[in-house]
Amino acid sequence: MRMGGGSGRSSGGRGGAAGRDGKGGPRKKFFVRRRKVCKFCAEKLEYIDWKDVKLLQGFIPERGKILPRRISGTCALHQRKLQTAIKRARSIALLPYATD
Amino acid sequence: MRLYDIVVLVTPDLNDEDATKVAAEYKKVLTDGGATVVKEEPWGKRRLAFPILRKREAHYHYWQVQAEPAAVAEAERRMGLSDQVLRHLAVRVDEELKRSAKMAERLRVKAAKRPPRPAAPPAAAPDAGPAPVERSES
Repeated sequence: MRMGGGSGRSSGGRGGAAGRDGKGGPRKKFFVRRRKVCKFCAEKLEYIDWKDVKLLQGFIPERGKILPRRISGTCALHQRKLQTAIKRARSIALLPYATD
Repeated sequence: MRLYDIVVLVTPDLNDEDATKVAAEYKKVLTDGGATVVKEEPWGKRRLAFPILRKREAHYHYWQVQAEPAAVAEAERRMGLSDQVLRHLAVRVDEELKRSAKMAERLRVKAAKRPPRPAAPPAAAPDAGPAPVERSES
């Protein structure tokens, strides 16, 4: 079980450290989190092509950084491949290093 | 011989024809070194994601070649020296492609071996349904 995005506040007020700490601790239920799956595993895309700008752009938020896998749900193997693909694409100006 | 993906960005100051000519020079370096061009795609004039040498676009030329490492190294060296080439990239792809083909094959074999799954879930669902109802009544 993995924690999702950064919005994991269980109760209002201070002392968030105790509440935020566990994975499935006793917390109020607020919404059912959708289980994230690695896009590349799900679609059985083994080779991540650095020329495929459309695909890579989905993993580049507005700021131009690489979307962390904690958010995207990509598995470790594919995140690593994605990372090299994005970096290659950046080197020939297909993708930005940073946008402001 | 190894398979490479090569991309060259040529200055937008040249027109299409001249840019293609410049790119062809480097292709010639490769073919003279014993390379064979597998795929060739001019991507045309594209906007750059960020300015390079104050230029906002460039002519992209892409080839996939079967070449010796030495030929690719030589072509890359010359691209680096040229003022008309803004950027260039050569990536060896044969091993990566082979590996991914193997992975895809393994996935397919695994999927074929797995017993067909539609039988189980429908049977489980009705069983799970009534149980909570009884508990809430008592």
